[in-house]
Amino acid sequence: MIKTMELLPGVTLRCHADTRFKQGCLSFALVRPMNREEAAMNALIPAVLLRGSRNHPDLRAITLKLDDLYGAAVGTQVRRIGDYQTTGLSCGFMEDRFALGGDRILEDMVSFLRELLLEPVTEEDGFSRDYVESEKKNLISTIESELNNKGAYAMSRMLRAMCQADSYGIPRLGEAEDVAAIDTVSLYRHYRRILRESPIQIFYVGSAPAETVAGLLMPLLERIDRNYVNLPEQTPFHDAVGGEITERMEVAQGKLCLGYVTPITNRSGEFAAMQTMNNLFGAGMTSKLFTHVREKLSLCYSIGSGYYGSKGILTVSAGIDFAKEQQTREEIAAQLDAIRRGDITADELTAAKEAILSGLRSTHDAPGAIEGYYSTAALSGMGMTPEQYMEAVRAVTADQVAAAARSLTLHTTYFLKGVDA
Amino acid sequence: MNRYEYPEVGEALYRESLPNGLTLLVLPRPGFTKHLAYFVTDFGSIHTDFTLDGREIHAPAGIAHFLEHKMFDLPGRDISAELASLGAATNAFTSYDMTAYYISCTENFEAALKLLIEFVSTPYFTEESVQKEMGIIDQEIGMNADTPDSQVFECLMEVMYREHKIRIPILGTSESIREITPEILHDCHRAFYTPGNMILCVIGDVQPDRIRDIAEEMLGREARSVGQKLRPWQEDMTMVSNRFHRQMEVAMPMFHIAFKAEPVGTGEAAIRQEIVADLAAEALFGESSRLYLNLYEEGLIDSSFGGGFETIDGMAMLLCSGDSDDAEAVRTAILEQARNLVSLGIPEEDFLRMKRSAFGRRIRDLDSFSSTCFRLCAYTLSGYDYFRFPELYRSIESSEILAFLDRVVTEERCAMSLITPAKEAD
Repeated sequence: MIKTMELLPGVTLRCHADTRFKQGCLSFALVRPMNREEAAMNALIPAVLLRGSRNHPDLRAITLKLDDLYGAAVGTQVRRIGDYQTTGLSCGFMEDRFALGGDRILEDMVSFLRELLLEPVTEEDGFSRDYVESEKKNLISTIESELNNKGAYAMSRMLRAMCQADSYGIPRLGEAEDVAAIDTVSLYRHYRRILRESPIQIFYVGSAPAETVAGLLMPLLERIDRNYVNLPEQTPFHDAVGGEITERMEVAQGKLCLGYVTPITNRSGEFAAMQTMNNLFGAGMTSKLFTHVREKLSLCYSIGSGYYGSKGILTVSAGIDFAKEQQTREEIAAQLDAIRRGDITADELTAAKEAILSGLRSTHDAPGAIEGYYSTAALSGMGMTPEQYMEAVRAVTADQVAAAARSLTLHTTYFLKGVDA
Repeated sequence: MNRYEYPEVGEALYRESLPNGLTLLVLPRPGFTKHLAYFVTDFGSIHTDFTLDGREIHAPAGIAHFLEHKMFDLPGRDISAELASLGAATNAFTSYDMTAYYISCTENFEAALKLLIEFVSTPYFTEESVQKEMGIIDQEIGMNADTPDSQVFECLMEVMYREHKIRIPILGTSESIREITPEILHDCHRAFYTPGNMILCVIGDVQPDRIRDIAEEMLGREARSVGQKLRPWQEDMTMVSNRFHRQMEVAMPMFHIAFKAEPVGTGEAAIRQEIVADLAAEALFGESSRLYLNLYEEGLIDSSFGGGFETIDGMAMLLCSGDSDDAEAVRTAILEQARNLVSLGIPEEDFLRMKRSAFGRRIRDLDSFSSTCFRLCAYTLSGYDYFRFPELYRSIESSEILAFLDRVVTEERCAMSLITPAKEAD
């Protein structure tokens, strides 16, 4: 069970005490509004923090420390959840019971996390210039290397075009040009501000009781001069004109992406129905898109749909022959129309619901899944426990799925094709 | 079933060879909801040449992967839908030297397991369905052609290996898959999808004896003959070329650098070699190595850099990859650092820390059902008991690491593949 504690105003600790795992996980996230002004800075900060602290001033000192902690890992964690962006660090470490001679890993891990968060290497009024410049280069390279995965690239281009008036059009890690413009002093100032003002979400999965974890964290939190500012609530999709985009590139295969909008979000009563509709339509090997567009017509290898509940956006993507764009689009539309008409078999409905239920049932079987579910659910406004969510899914009827499908409107289409195609 | 205890890693594994030849592994995980089953055949993309009942067969490139796709067909039935109605997710993958089918679910595990065993053991191929699959796999080949991460590796294998079938992509080519027929799929299935060539590995809150009963009920007790792999590769340590370069639509230059090593064979000595080589990779360019830190701080690599030791039936190599504006400099630095390590040695304290870290990471990794299942199968195929890694770590000495680096990380054994951004047309 999850135990939620408000350690300070705006500082939430969620603990899932569990002795089944061999590793513990601890994540620390600052919650920010997603906007162009700070998205790139927020994405850069954890990477800079991981370059050094006062006591462990460079990468070598940090990695040696982690090696001593039995190969513990600390990574950056930057997420986009609807209108919010979270930024922070996440740690994975071996449970104490496997350590030699009674070594205490959790305790050391928390104090190391405190060091990384609160004692970064600084010079004058900013972070270390070297560290910032080097991590800017890395972040820009990460952002730009999205191009290497043509499917992800196409989807991001589609979402960008679709969400011109919505924060969902801003890439999770911000824009490369915004990263390039960051200077060390304003980055440090921004970091100090978001440490003071942001909601802080801490998550722990492991064998230690919540009270112990809270006790270990207090010295960290008490050193932050908090001045908590609450965030506005999540909002649904902000509309702007959509359209049809074609881009050309030196590629062997075309990438087709469609963006639909729906008023149904994860805060709506119809959320479970829409999630079921998404599964039935395009998630997995029994979905209509897979069985018809791939298996029956051999139009593609990859095809699928995704539903972003925090915004009410549904996307479809497919990798196809350049010449098959029109046929694939017609077939996708035909499959969606079939669902809208209620052309849904009992097997299809069961399969879609079971896939969601099975995923939810196993949420508690992996530390990462537990952290991911609860952190995201709380912030996205969805607010259901896996058990409540399962109950909602079980109650979904074919009529409700058809109604959810009817709420979808095609908004934007994107096609990536070859230079000479 | 026979129970084996591994207190140091907190595991108890049930293991048995059934009369029909199947290797059965069951790892009970009390208190977990999820169940995972891997059904694996010791047959991958490199095993295109074999004999079956005295007949020599040379199958087209891409056959193992094509067969994997086709196994999901059963006459008049939709296996995916049947599994889905049980709440089970299913999928499969083909690697160079194995093909794995898996299901995961929370409820109805026994029914889903039976379906898994059934569809993998039931060959059903028609002219029409084989034709249709070509269209799908053609698209997969097209997708792969646009994936620089795959291209950079596949091109490296093409220049590094003269004979070994790792030179040929797992998917085959658009041309080679055109030669695939229902008959040849049947031959491969008969040769390698027989219990004596397979492993069934189950993780979850299960009764091991129930799993054995199900496996016997579904597969029978009788052992059948297994195809004999021909392995027509006599690979020495030389290469076709030590450089490959091409341009693609990528954001920044990416590289793979590899060092050719002797194949490790099977059994205990092999796994020792593998862990020695893993630790050598760690010492040479792992995240806490001097080399990694220097290259990172100089901006020659970023966090995309990584590497390790790769072994595949009949070949082995030390491989690293990443993005860099100057891959040549990375290559030179690796060779130099190997020389330094060999001449200066690894301080005992550093070596112990490195082993402790590698040990802890392997322990943490055991929380992942799929990674554990995969490792259990892969190590079993190599004839070793995976959970005994703690004792191996204890017994390995730094001199073994240095001997490996001295032998393998040399100019002569090094090849590099590079993909750079396509030049904009003016």
